[in-house]
Amino acid sequence: MSIEIRNVSKNFGSFSALHNVSLDVPSGELVALLGPSGCGKTTLLRIIAGLETPDSGSIGFYGEEATTRGVRERQVGFVFQHYALFRHMTVFENVAFGLRVRPKKTRPAEEEIRRRVHELLDLVQLDWLSDRYPPQLSGGQRQRIALARALAVEPKVLLLDEPFGALDAKVRKDLRRWLRRLHDELHITSVFVTHDQEEALEVADRIVVLNQGKIEQTGTPVEVYDNPATPFVFKFLGNVNVFHSRIHEGIARIGDMSIAAPGHDDAENLSALAYVRPHDVEVQREAEGASFSARIQDIHAIGPVVRLELQHLEDPDFIEVELQRERFTALGLVRGDTVYIKPRNLRLFPN
Amino acid sequence: MSTIATPLAIPITPSYKQKVARSRAISEPAWIRWLLIGFALAYLALFLFMPLAAVFTEGLRKGIHAYLAALSEPDALSSIKLTFIAAAIAVPLNLVFGVAAAWAIAKFEFRGKSVLITLIDLPFAVSPVIAGLIYVLIFGLQGWFGGWLSDHDIKIIFAVPGIVLATLFVTFPFIARELIPLMQAQGKDEEEAALVLGASGWQMFWRVTLPNIKWGLMYGVVLCNARAMGEFGAVSVVSGHIRGLTNTMPLHVEILYNEYNYAAAFAVASLLALLALVTLAVKSYIEWQSARYAAQQAVDAME
Repeated sequence: MSIEIRNVSKNFGSFSALHNVSLDVPSGELVALLGPSGCGKTTLLRIIAGLETPDSGSIGFYGEEATTRGVRERQVGFVFQHYALFRHMTVFENVAFGLRVRPKKTRPAEEEIRRRVHELLDLVQLDWLSDRYPPQLSGGQRQRIALARALAVEPKVLLLDEPFGALDAKVRKDLRRWLRRLHDELHITSVFVTHDQEEALEVADRIVVLNQGKIEQTGTPVEVYDNPATPFVFKFLGNVNVFHSRIHEGIARIGDMSIAAPGHDDAENLSALAYVRPHDVEVQREAEGASFSARIQDIHAIGPVVRLELQHLEDPDFIEVELQRERFTALGLVRGDTVYIKPRNLRLFPN
Repeated sequence: MSTIATPLAIPITPSYKQKVARSRAISEPAWIRWLLIGFALAYLALFLFMPLAAVFTEGLRKGIHAYLAALSEPDALSSIKLTFIAAAIAVPLNLVFGVAAAWAIAKFEFRGKSVLITLIDLPFAVSPVIAGLIYVLIFGLQGWFGGWLSDHDIKIIFAVPGIVLATLFVTFPFIARELIPLMQAQGKDEEEAALVLGASGWQMFWRVTLPNIKWGLMYGVVLCNARAMGEFGAVSVVSGHIRGLTNTMPLHVEILYNEYNYAAAFAVASLLALLALVTLAVKSYIEWQSARYAAQQAVDAME
């Protein structure tokens, strides 16, 4: 079931939550809506579900207009950030709820409900908890029950609002792997909202980066990480160093350093910002070619990657660098050393 | 604790010393504690327990036969009946209104919400006598609709409808006030979940909302009922004190008292007092149940 979002806008009072957003979610894909809080990602998800109505624009399911369809008719599964399990019902009754509220004609027999619920509880590996009440479960268990409950109505689309937001780091990691596997098994069109770029990059087939109610970029995790379309995407998808530079006839200058700037051959004294990821910075003992000097302010040597904080000698800005441990040991760096750095890979965004 | 008499006699580390000092700082010497407790108990006995005991002893002063006779006298029976009728109409109506208002206020944003909240509190703020007078002004013979009502031979003031209206007005806020904070705290996630799962609005209310507010609702009903049966001021203004017709129990007690018929007055009053005691018992039971429910949930959550 594909989802088509066309020119959707939504305002809350004077606050514009979504501004003319268009997006296609292909059938069977797992899509992440990624962005900082307040970017409109949850609003977009709730509009898809029918829990909010857009001020303008339309939502289509599989090419069929769905904007005016109520929440009940959309056949979506929705997993809430804080689970929203029915606190006075057992786990079993929670999962059975969607089947029990069906009109008599389409409601399965008690036997069939029982079978389906246990099947789903098996799927989320929590059948042994079926007699418990939600407050008796851990966060991770609650989230899986919420997912089982959403799947019980055989939704055509699964929507998840910050599904792992309220969990601790370890459980979160396990659960997102588990969600990925589950999606590969069920192949149900799924959209999930997250502000955690690592989560989006790891789980999603496709990432939609949102900022201030607008889509910044849509693409596979590799595309958006390697080829950020905007400075915002570059900054949001990981740490980044920003340098002021000038581009003139295909050459960018950062301080005294000159670097080829392909695609900017016609530029004349254009002011630009250069974005460099910390792991794309080369560190050397000796000046060599295009490089500039900086002093090591701090060293965080934990794990296989060593993080250096450098200070540019003329510039007050800090530069963050990530080195492989072998390289770090080979260079024998200590705090206070002066080193020469050069970007291995950079992106220029003219101002 | 007062049992640690001389902390300085023990060789102690500074932290221990601090602990002792702190625990001494927050507990009083025994005589002060007993004085405070004694004062509180004496106060309770004098102003709460004694009047209650007096009501029952005065009621039974002329023996159990006179007591029962005072209660089974036709005027007394009709006042009891009227009190129950007023409560039986006012409580269900305010139940429906209270749930609806709390629902609207807790789950939706709309223009005029704060006005609605203020309006709900109005009966608490206004003196019951004024509440009664309002109805006299509107429905009384000289009031806005008085002429029209008398033309069509409809009696509201000095009749049962007036008493029901006055009771409705004064008991208006109890249930809504009890539910609003509860429903606000619970949010609307569960209701939305029910809708997404395909429940109709009606199913959502009966299966999700109502079970969640059950205890708060019962608590509100108990308080609302107690007030409906005990209301004096507003009802007194609109009743007209017609014996056997428009007297509720509190009004009947007053009439008997004014006629120096103390035994009968206290007999009927004892019935009201009994009602109050039952209300308190039910209220404590509900509080105990809902506290147990909350504690159970908290314990389970920690496991």
